[in-house]
Amino acid sequence: MTATTSPLARERIEVRGSAPSGRTMSKRRLTATIVSTIVLLVIALVWFAPFIILLFTSIRSSTDFAQNGPLALPSSFTLQNFVAAWGEGLFSDTYRNSIIITVVKVPIGVLISAMLAFALAKLRIFGRKTVMFAVFLGLTVPIYIALVPLFGIVKEIGLIDNVFGLLGPYLAFGIPFEVLVLHSFFRRVPEEVFEAARIDGAGNWRIFFQVMIPLSLPALVTVAILDAVATWNELLMALILLNSDQNKTLPLGLLNFSGQFGTDYTGLAAGILIAVIPMLIAYAVLQRWIVSGLTAGAVKG
Amino acid sequence: MSTPDSYQATAYTKRRRLAQGLNVWLFALPALLAYVVFLVSPAVQSIWISLTNWNGISPTKAFVGLDNYVQIFQDPTALLAMRNNLLWTVVTIAVPMVLGLLLAVALNGATLLKPFLRTVFYMPAVMPLVAIASIWSWLYDPSNGAINAFLKDIGLGALAHPWLGTSSTAFGAIMVPAIWVRTGFPMLIYLASLQGIPSELYESAKTDGASAWQCFWHITMPSLKPAHYIVLALSLIDSFKVFDIIYAMTYGGPGNSTQVLGTWMYFNVFQFYHAGYGTAIAVFITIVALACGIPYVLSQMREER
Repeated sequence: MTATTSPLARERIEVRGSAPSGRTMSKRRLTATIVSTIVLLVIALVWFAPFIILLFTSIRSSTDFAQNGPLALPSSFTLQNFVAAWGEGLFSDTYRNSIIITVVKVPIGVLISAMLAFALAKLRIFGRKTVMFAVFLGLTVPIYIALVPLFGIVKEIGLIDNVFGLLGPYLAFGIPFEVLVLHSFFRRVPEEVFEAARIDGAGNWRIFFQVMIPLSLPALVTVAILDAVATWNELLMALILLNSDQNKTLPLGLLNFSGQFGTDYTGLAAGILIAVIPMLIAYAVLQRWIVSGLTAGAVKG
Repeated sequence: MSTPDSYQATAYTKRRRLAQGLNVWLFALPALLAYVVFLVSPAVQSIWISLTNWNGISPTKAFVGLDNYVQIFQDPTALLAMRNNLLWTVVTIAVPMVLGLLLAVALNGATLLKPFLRTVFYMPAVMPLVAIASIWSWLYDPSNGAINAFLKDIGLGALAHPWLGTSSTAFGAIMVPAIWVRTGFPMLIYLASLQGIPSELYESAKTDGASAWQCFWHITMPSLKPAHYIVLALSLIDSFKVFDIIYAMTYGGPGNSTQVLGTWMYFNVFQFYHAGYGTAIAVFITIVALACGIPYVLSQMREER
C-alpha cells in the first residue's frame, strides 16, 4: 500500500524544509507526529468499535455469546450465523433488487443531468436562470411533500410493488444535486476547447458526447458514485411503493430482518454485516472519488 | 460568410437559429420532464390535498380550507415533533461541526496515516441509515447490548437501562448515532479548506510571537468561513429530511416521544389514513426547509457569474 509510505515521505520533506536548524527540532516534531497519530488512532478505534463488536459477535455461536456477553472476545468460530441470516433475510432478493435499480437509475440520471447541466452551462437556453433556480431549489425539498401524489402516479403507471416504480421518483430527486455539481464543473471548461470542434462543423450533440463527456469523466464518475450511494440507501420511497418481501430493496429488507431477528443477536449481527460489508469494501476502494466530489464545492468557496 | 442571395441566407440562419433553440431544449428536456412529473407536479398536488379531508383511499375528498394547518398547532404530538425537529437540527448540526472541526485540525497537523484515518471517520456516512439504526439498536439492547454491558464492566451499572425504550432517553439515544454519521462530512470539508490555507500565514504569525491558540482564532477560523457556510447550509437542508433512523430505531415511540414531523406525517398518511392532515404536515416542513434553503440556492446561482 502506498498510503502508508507516501505521508511518511511527505512528512520527512516537511521536517527537513521547515527546521533546517538541526536534529533536535526534527526529532521533536517527529515525536509530536507520532504522539498525535497514536491519539488519533485510538479515537479512530473507538469510532470503529461498533463494527468490531459486530464482527466479533457475528462469528461466534449464540451459546458463546449468551455465556460470555457482547464484549468478550469470541471463544468459538462459526459462519453458521451468516448462512442462516442470508436465507432468513432474503438477501439474495434484496441485493438483486437494489443492484437492478442502482444500475438502471444511476447511468440514466447522470446522463440526463449532464445534458441539462451542459445546456445551462454552455448553450444559450431560454429562461436559463429560472430553470436553474427551479432545479437547484429541488435540493432543499424533502421527499415527504411528494409522497402521497407519487403513490398515485406510480399506481397509475402500474408499478406498485415493482422495483422499477422507484425509477421516476429517484431520477427526479437525484437531478438537483447532479445538475448542481456538473453545472459548476462544466462552466469552468474554457470556451476555446469547443471552438476547434465548432470550426470543424460539429453540432451540440457531437460536442457534448465527443468533447464535454470525455473531458469531464472524473466529475461524472464522482457524481455517479455519490448518486449510487444515495440510491442504494434510500428507504422512505421504497417503504411506500414496495410490499412483497421478494420485491424489496436492501434497506427495506434489512429493516424487516432486524424486526424479525430482534432477539437472535449473533444472527442479527451477521445480517447487518451482510448488508454492510460490500458497501464498506466499495467505499474503501472508491473513497478518493467520494472525498473529491464532496469537497469540490467547498474549496472554491 | 457571404452568399450571393442574401435573402436566402437570412432565412437560412433564422431557421437554423430556431432549430438551434429547439436543439438546445432537447438537452434540457429529459431531465426537466422527470423533474416536473415526479417532483414538481406531485409537490403542487400535495398543496391541494393538504386543503382537503382526504383519507388517502376514498374517491371523494372535501375542501376544508386551512383546517389541517390549524390542527397541526393543536395536535400535541405534532408540537412535540416540532420541538424534536428543532432539537435535532441544533444538536446534529452543532455537535458534528465541532467534532468535525477538531478532527480536521488534528488530522491536518502532524499526522501519519491521514488518508486512512480520514476514511475511518467518514465511513458511517456512506452506510444506509437503516444499517446504522440496526447497529445501534443492537448496541443499545437492554439485556444483551454492548453499551449496557460496558457500563456494568466499568462500574456504572446503575446507568444501564433500556435506552431506546425509555421516553426520557430515547431521542437522545437516537441522536448519538446521528452524530456518528454526520461528523464525517464537516470533517472532510474542513480538512479540504485547511489544506488551502497558505502556511506562510502561520509562519509569519509565529515569527511575530503568536501562540497556537491565537493562530487558530485569527488565521484558521476566518479562513474557514466559506467552509462553515457550506457545512451549515447543507446540514440544515439535510436535517429536515430526518426519517429513516428514527423510523428504524424507535418507530416514533415509546409513546410518540421520538416523533419528528417526517415520521408523524408518515404515520398520519399511511397508518391512520389522514392523508389530508399528513400532507399538511409535509407542506409545513417543506415551507420551512425551502425558507432555510433559498439563501444557499441563491448563493450557488450568484457564483455562476
